[in-house]
Amino acid sequence: MTISSLISVARQEGRTALDEAGGKALLAQYGIAVPKTMVVKSADEVDTVLRGLALPVVVKVVSPEILHKSDAGGVRVNLASANEVRDAIHAMSALPKIKNARVDGWLIEEMAPSGQELVVGGFRDPDFGPLVMVGLGGIFVEVLQDVSFRICPITRLDAEEMIDELKGAAVLKGARGRKPASRDAIVDVLLKMGGESGLLMQHAEEIKEADVNPLIVSETAAVAVDARFLLA
Amino acid sequence: MTERNILREFMPLFAPKTVAVVGASTKGAAFPNVFIRRIREFGYDGEIYPIHPTADEIDGLPAYRSFAETPKPVDYAFIAIPAAQIPPLLSAANGRLRFAQVISSGFGEVDEGRELQAELVAAAHAGGARLIGPNCLGLYTPRGKVTFAEIGSKELGVVGVISQSGGLGTDTIRRGFARGLKFSGLVTVGNCADVTPSDLLEFYLADEPTRVIGMYIETAKDGRRLFEILKRANAVKPVIILKGGRTQQGLQAAASHTGSLAGDDRVWIALSRQTGCILVDTVDQFVDTLLLFQMLTPQPAHPLQRVVLFGNGGGASVLATDYFARLGLDVTPFDKPTIDALAALKLPPGTSITNPVDCPVGTLQQDDGRVAEKILDIIYSAGKPDALVMHLNMSAFVGRSKPEVLDNLVKVALRVQEHYPGQAHFLLVLRSDADPPLEKRKREFRDHAIALGVPVYDEMSNAGHALAALQTYERFVHKRQT
Repeated sequence: MTISSLISVARQEGRTALDEAGGKALLAQYGIAVPKTMVVKSADEVDTVLRGLALPVVVKVVSPEILHKSDAGGVRVNLASANEVRDAIHAMSALPKIKNARVDGWLIEEMAPSGQELVVGGFRDPDFGPLVMVGLGGIFVEVLQDVSFRICPITRLDAEEMIDELKGAAVLKGARGRKPASRDAIVDVLLKMGGESGLLMQHAEEIKEADVNPLIVSETAAVAVDARFLLA
Repeated sequence: MTERNILREFMPLFAPKTVAVVGASTKGAAFPNVFIRRIREFGYDGEIYPIHPTADEIDGLPAYRSFAETPKPVDYAFIAIPAAQIPPLLSAANGRLRFAQVISSGFGEVDEGRELQAELVAAAHAGGARLIGPNCLGLYTPRGKVTFAEIGSKELGVVGVISQSGGLGTDTIRRGFARGLKFSGLVTVGNCADVTPSDLLEFYLADEPTRVIGMYIETAKDGRRLFEILKRANAVKPVIILKGGRTQQGLQAAASHTGSLAGDDRVWIALSRQTGCILVDTVDQFVDTLLLFQMLTPQPAHPLQRVVLFGNGGGASVLATDYFARLGLDVTPFDKPTIDALAALKLPPGTSITNPVDCPVGTLQQDDGRVAEKILDIIYSAGKPDALVMHLNMSAFVGRSKPEVLDNLVKVALRVQEHYPGQAHFLLVLRSDADPPLEKRKREFRDHAIALGVPVYDEMSNAGHALAALQTYERFVHKRQT
């Protein structure tokens, strides 16, 4: 599906957001790495799709009515066999928040390589247009609000300064025995999101808010593990 | 718009050959009458046309019924009559009016005035004019010899200001006047219904006399354009932005002031990081920073880092060191060779020579200030400062020294400066305590120092903020232009 049809289909269906698979397809179109992903309608299809994926995998609920999948109990990680995947789907289906929602299927994806969790996002300011954001994941963003913003389009230098501006910037270099996160990979994602021909500039009129959370950054690469797009 | 076009478009505003005044009364008491008096006193030598529905003469000038009747087309009109009467007047201008500045309120800043504001813009455009305001106070332009303000220098300066608040525009002129600020122009733009701060920013960027630009902004409805202009300018001139409504409560206050729902604070921080414009928080910081850029030439080849404090007052030096350090300025002690060289001067006890250099008045005035010259020479040659802040506590001089001592000190500092051209920025802090005779003397010293081209500050913290702004600017230019 092309990018504009991804967004227009969502709109035709009266949706105000792209679902996770749609969001990731959009990111992939702009060259941002996402885990290899398959969608199944039900647990019956698990065996077939697992042949194309490397174990272990993650399973997530696909529902236009559930934006915060983890909060609803709709995410299970580190599943190492077809049986574990099927059990996870059955167990999640029985949870109240999922049982009562419209469920379009289940997203099965390869586990991202381990690394540091970052958040990359954006929003549309009514006066200035699209802005791009970066922050460190977890408590850094949620509690400390350690994030930096720039007005799109950004340059490579802007992207580097955004990273340096974070109070937790030292963590990315590998503080306290952690492995460093690839600075080049983060800059690359920021430019693909907020650069001159990046996603936020190209869809400035259509995207109200973008949230790639988490972006897992290893020593060599960055992978967008979850994505949420609110449409304007 | 090209530079030449923007200059051509806005020059009639900054140097109007003809001025019309709408709202002056035959009794001579209304604000527009005051405006006529002020521009005459300011030396305006073009033609002034009062516009009045019935009077034949106002303040000794022949009055006209409309813009269509004036002998020559009008470059600039100052309009202060009830809001509803203005649109018909403007729509009938028939291409004979370039700029209409509407002082009156009752437009977009109140709910019931929104429609009237749209009508006002349409009327101005229909009559062929650009609209400034409404809900503002006027403009101050030394090159055009036009001013709405009671005081202000007649000399054409280098500071171009755009203010969304009229009162703050007045404050900037008045406080700036006392501090030696010289303006290339100041325009109050109120609700910015037509001409926006971005338009005037483009003018000042292209305008040759203007070297530093100040903006008081509550909202930027054309924020995207502001960003693009600043980005394209690449900090060719320093732009200082005093942004109102950066907190939730400030936003609400701004909404009732100019009827604007100003944007997110994060956007403004991003704007400054990306374009090199400098955000300040108070009118004092605004004036302090504009003054610095008027007086000093940025040295982006070696961005400001190291600051040396030199003056009298040990506690004041320590507090200033803390304050400067928090602002990201480096006030660390000299290296050993520098300290040794200063120690060799055998200065009296009570003198501290490490940076901050703290000298009692007795030391400073030895030999008519020649000791200070030796100290400064060592500081410059060995201490390698990027900026020197000389601070003098005025009260310590009272009754103990001849009036010329302080003058000598400033002259000595400037003489040493000349031996090390382009090495360090020089700022003077004259500290006082509101005692009237002391304040009077401080003013004399300040005026003298200003005449010598030295920016003078009231407190160390004021000088610190101005230097931090200079550092931000020099670093940005260093990184993006070199």
